[in-house]
Amino acid sequence: MIWAAAAFLFGVVAAIQIPWWPANLNLEWITFGRLRPLHTNAAIFAFGGNAIFAGIYHSSQRLLKARMFSDLLSRMHFWGWQLIIVAAAITLPLGYSQAKEYAELEWPIDIAIAVVWVIFAVNFFMTIHRRREKHLYVALWFYISTIITVAVLHIVNSIEIPVSFMKSFPVYAGIQDAMVQWWYGHNAVAFFLTTPFLGLMYYYVPKAANRPVYSYRLSIVHFWSLVFIYIWAGPHHLLYTSMPEWAQTLGMIFSVMLWAPSWGGMINGLLTLKGSWNLLRTQPLLKFFVAALTFYGMATFEGPLLSIKSVSALGHYTDWIIGHVHAGTLGWNGFLTFGILYYMIPRLWKTELYSNKLLENHFWMGLLGVIMYYVSMVVAGITQGLMWRAVNKDGTLVYPDFIETVVRIIPLYWVRALGGMLFLIGFLLMCYNIYMTIKLAPKQVKEEAVEVTRTGYNEVPGTGHRKLEGMGFVFSVLAFLAIAVGSFIEIYPTLSLHKYITPTNVTEPYTALEIAGRSIYQKEGCYVCHSQQIRPIVSEVLRYGNASTIEESMWDHPFQWGSKRTGPDLARVGKKYPNLWHFSHMMDPRTVTPASIMPNYPWLADKDTDFLRLRKELSVLRRLGVPYDDDTVVNADGIAQKQAKEIAADIEANGGPKGMEKKEIIALIAYLQALGQKGKAQ
Amino acid sequence: MKQEGLKYFTDLHLTSIGLMIFFVFFICVLVWVFRKNSKYFYNEMQNMPLKDQEFTDARQ
Repeated sequence: MIWAAAAFLFGVVAAIQIPWWPANLNLEWITFGRLRPLHTNAAIFAFGGNAIFAGIYHSSQRLLKARMFSDLLSRMHFWGWQLIIVAAAITLPLGYSQAKEYAELEWPIDIAIAVVWVIFAVNFFMTIHRRREKHLYVALWFYISTIITVAVLHIVNSIEIPVSFMKSFPVYAGIQDAMVQWWYGHNAVAFFLTTPFLGLMYYYVPKAANRPVYSYRLSIVHFWSLVFIYIWAGPHHLLYTSMPEWAQTLGMIFSVMLWAPSWGGMINGLLTLKGSWNLLRTQPLLKFFVAALTFYGMATFEGPLLSIKSVSALGHYTDWIIGHVHAGTLGWNGFLTFGILYYMIPRLWKTELYSNKLLENHFWMGLLGVIMYYVSMVVAGITQGLMWRAVNKDGTLVYPDFIETVVRIIPLYWVRALGGMLFLIGFLLMCYNIYMTIKLAPKQVKEEAVEVTRTGYNEVPGTGHRKLEGMGFVFSVLAFLAIAVGSFIEIYPTLSLHKYITPTNVTEPYTALEIAGRSIYQKEGCYVCHSQQIRPIVSEVLRYGNASTIEESMWDHPFQWGSKRTGPDLARVGKKYPNLWHFSHMMDPRTVTPASIMPNYPWLADKDTDFLRLRKELSVLRRLGVPYDDDTVVNADGIAQKQAKEIAADIEANGGPKGMEKKEIIALIAYLQALGQKGKAQ
Repeated sequence: MKQEGLKYFTDLHLTSIGLMIFFVFFICVLVWVFRKNSKYFYNEMQNMPLKDQEFTDARQ
């Protein structure tokens, strides 16, 4: 049976290696808009997910002194999760996307994720229920809070109404959607990439160093503060947007407060090694843990820094954020996972690691890679941020052409690519090392069942503490309450959207053709490089026009404010250029902006718009509160075709190609021309 | 924008409750963690990953 568990873990480990991201290295790839979601999903859910499942299954059984509740559930969880990854890898490149960052997967896959997560939860909580160790060690607390919170986040953020098998509209709109999305997005970082990895850290670092964690008290305090505070900090992704000011301030304050519990974890991990630094020579895998904790400390120092409004004004929408994120994922999650694998694999196969020298090489290459990546992106981000805001003495922009700010940082993109490549090569060294370790492992080792007595029930007097921490269920409820309070207070006000909207400014909804264009915009992942949110900052208003308002996006399911500007903001692009300009721009951006790094989209002129689906789409939107009258819904396709003809005729009259009225490009142009034209300040 | 946001925001009781919950909660955690006689218990707990016994299969 132990072999079964080992085989299962081997499967997980293999799965970690399959979805590694090469897309990362190709910034100017043809379909960056579709590959980028694939990359983020693969990194977070495929790599991160499988890493934490492997670690949780391995360490929980040892901490609870009990085998997992059900092998069947373990297998269902494992294969279910791999199927979801495969489904994501197929659907995202095909363009099935909800266009919400890290939640792009369409509704059937969302449901599958929820089901698989429940399977995992049942398996895990039943194991806790049947444990032979009375106490729940602190690592288990982190696992519990992870399982509960991810379920809540995923379900709340993914409430959507299907239109067809692979198309849906989220129930939230505009600032509501932005708020819910970043409550989810921020806490995906918190409860998928932070708490489970901290839990793993609390098991594997003491294990590898063979000494107890530095301070158990500190771990309790920092656990509760982290779980309690993290959930509030989501709004820091929306600073200076049209979200209400008080919510922005709330997000900023809680983000700054997070600094303390985050560093609590880092200090606790690093000080665990106090007095055993000599182990670095004999146990080189500890280097990965030290580096991971250091990166965790750096990333969690930078996070609150970037949440300060004045810093955010400079850093938001630039590559600084990209650098910050990768210091976290590559440095913290990556290195910690590698350390765990180097620890776990030889022990599971009852052998020694194939080569410590390869491990050393992996470490130094990986470290150099992350540092190159991080430094180049921070420099690029700050450069671009400063160029965007540079204003002359006479009140005009120093760099009025957006493209100037892009061209300047292209060399840094190459440095980034090189850094990523180094990291990947280091990773491949590890794969080889682990493969050889397993291959050379003794085949016929007899498994000895270890007798474990029930412990912790009688040895320690029944103090209040062990009563609480021995009760898995009560503890879980407490953890749930901790996140629920923050979530409720953060989200509740935005659910009452009407409070923030001036009745005289209520916006006209998009026409049917514009809705079709909007779907194409989402499908191609335009939101990945273009924002639709002009911040009330002097340089942005000078560059793009009036700052965005809540009313403008009030019918947007989903919102499309974006989080990165590789290209300029589009919130006021409507009616700025003629239709033909947009047509040429999509076919070959170089014809209108010679130095553009945007890919060509020739297939938009080949594919037909799906007009028939529009009736269904509009009726779903009406159900969600968008004010369409009966006529508009019933005749949606006819109205859309009429508008498409007008645009196609205009393109033809100005010397463009003929017969485009059914093509996707026309719908997309209709949408782009509508941007900033609805809900203009009256 | 700031004025508008504040003008429409009338849920002050919510934030006050949030603050209260926070304050009380953290005081409780601190009292809990640093109460007397807990040292022995924590020493036990922190050694849990290092206990020699590995897990076994209940169904064998």
